[in-house]
Amino acid sequence: MKGGFRICPTTSLRVHRQADALIKANAVVATVSLLIGGITGLLVLLTRWQAVHLLDAAMFYRVLTIHGMSMLIFFIIFFEMAVLYFAGPVLLNSRVPAPRLGWSMFGLMVLGAVMVEWTMWTGRADVLFTSYVPLRAHPLFYLGVILFAVGTLITVAVFFGSLVVAKREKTYEGSVPLVTYGAIAAAIIAVITLLHGAAIYIPTFFWSIGIGNVDPQVYRMVWWGLGHSSQQINVAAMVAVWYLLGALTVGSVVINEKISRTAFVLYILFISMASAHHLLVDPGMGPTWKVVNTSYFMYMAVLASMIHGFTVPAGIEVGQRVRGLTKGMFEWLRRAPWGDPGFSALVFSVIIFGFVGGITGVTFGTEQINIIAHNTLRIPGHFHATVVAGTALAFMGVTYYVIPLIFRKKVAFWPLAKIQPYVFAFGMLIFSVAMTFAGTFGIPRRHWDMSFSDALFDVQFSPAANLVVTVMALGGLIAALGGAIYILVTVWSVFLGQPMEGDATYVDARSS
Amino acid sequence: MSMHGVPDGIVNPPRPLTAADEETASGKAGGFGMAPGTLVLALVFLGAFAVYYFTNWKLLSVVWQVG
Repeated sequence: MKGGFRICPTTSLRVHRQADALIKANAVVATVSLLIGGITGLLVLLTRWQAVHLLDAAMFYRVLTIHGMSMLIFFIIFFEMAVLYFAGPVLLNSRVPAPRLGWSMFGLMVLGAVMVEWTMWTGRADVLFTSYVPLRAHPLFYLGVILFAVGTLITVAVFFGSLVVAKREKTYEGSVPLVTYGAIAAAIIAVITLLHGAAIYIPTFFWSIGIGNVDPQVYRMVWWGLGHSSQQINVAAMVAVWYLLGALTVGSVVINEKISRTAFVLYILFISMASAHHLLVDPGMGPTWKVVNTSYFMYMAVLASMIHGFTVPAGIEVGQRVRGLTKGMFEWLRRAPWGDPGFSALVFSVIIFGFVGGITGVTFGTEQINIIAHNTLRIPGHFHATVVAGTALAFMGVTYYVIPLIFRKKVAFWPLAKIQPYVFAFGMLIFSVAMTFAGTFGIPRRHWDMSFSDALFDVQFSPAANLVVTVMALGGLIAALGGAIYILVTVWSVFLGQPMEGDATYVDARSS
Repeated sequence: MSMHGVPDGIVNPPRPLTAADEETASGKAGGFGMAPGTLVLALVFLGAFAVYYFTNWKLLSVVWQVG
């Protein structure tokens, strides 16, 4: 397998050929997953928008399942694997320790993802993202998830191996950079997450082929150790990307390494227990278990997010001020590079994640308040602000740097790329806030028909609810436009884009 | 100067910090003291959180009355 390094003309980092290639492969599959998830998301939106009500019930639940799996698992985790190959071998000037294993596991992840997509698209797995037992999907659905999880777990092991190799070969000095530290936190959470996934999906696979039984209560509890924790891999990776984008775009400083690193440790220690907030109205759990997990342990993970939510903008401000932007309170922000899509995506990601996703999340995670929010549109309103406007937007922002630095291509349709974070963030802000408001009116989540046309009992919502849902739909359409621009720009840049100037020749390490 | 198709952070990267800059950034004033704008934004966040949190408790008391 070909090796060798190239020197990045911008960052002066030594980039291993296999790290380059694995980042590209994972990023491309992530973008394909985003496209699938985006199209199905649009179909879900046009069905929940009662004035359109596009799909019938069966198709609605099918595309909702595809939307959830493609976005929350495949897009995010393939992108995170790219982040791990960047934060490990590239940032540490090291090599990928086992490239054949890396490629094999990438293939296994793709195979698992294809199996899951096939079962979902063919109507063999209309079980939604949670796949709650006793809903039963085709065995290949569960097997696909297991193969994907095994591939991910071993890719994470390759990342840990790259840290060992870098340390042994002395490719860096002192502690690992903060971005790498954040990626390590994400990788550790990934291990915890995937072990939960194995613990529940393996018995569920056997149950699906008629061997053994799975208790629904146990399923729900263990499954959320996968379902929620997988979103915490996102959070840790997103925060690592925030620090990276801050450094790349404005030269932000880390105002206190110890505080930032401690916050990542808080994620590792407490984020899994936060999964309990999904079970706050579950009759199988007692109030003590719920309160201890969601009103004590979860707040430690929230504290970590609040620390990062302060240190990232503070690092940008300090970086700008030491470079002379000291007038008044906000010159550092006013004169920031707003035309750089990496910077605008970073700022919108921090703001929407914190102000909309964070505030609603902590509020809904309170046991008493959760009783009026659970199973309404308030919950997806919250997590679209965190996962889509937060994580996905941060990943979009860093893509505008990955294309020239890793793919060695110029970003195509540059004027469109510059406005893309604005369009996407504006749409997602309207969408998530309106969705949260719609839930306040009691509109249920995961439901095909908010008019309950064939229900035994008449259910009436406030007339204002229809207006709010229409605003939500318009916001969603704007966000979908932003997503479409992102896919157009990235796909065109990667496959048809103009190459960057500068030497990108790989030289064997022994001869360099 | 911006180049078409390449972000500013690559074409025109931020000036590297000098030793004096580093000292200023983490020096006597302390990192947090150097970020008054962020402190204001954090206080806005705190205010927004307090309003939303207590509005929800009020909403709970309306829909689920005790006694």
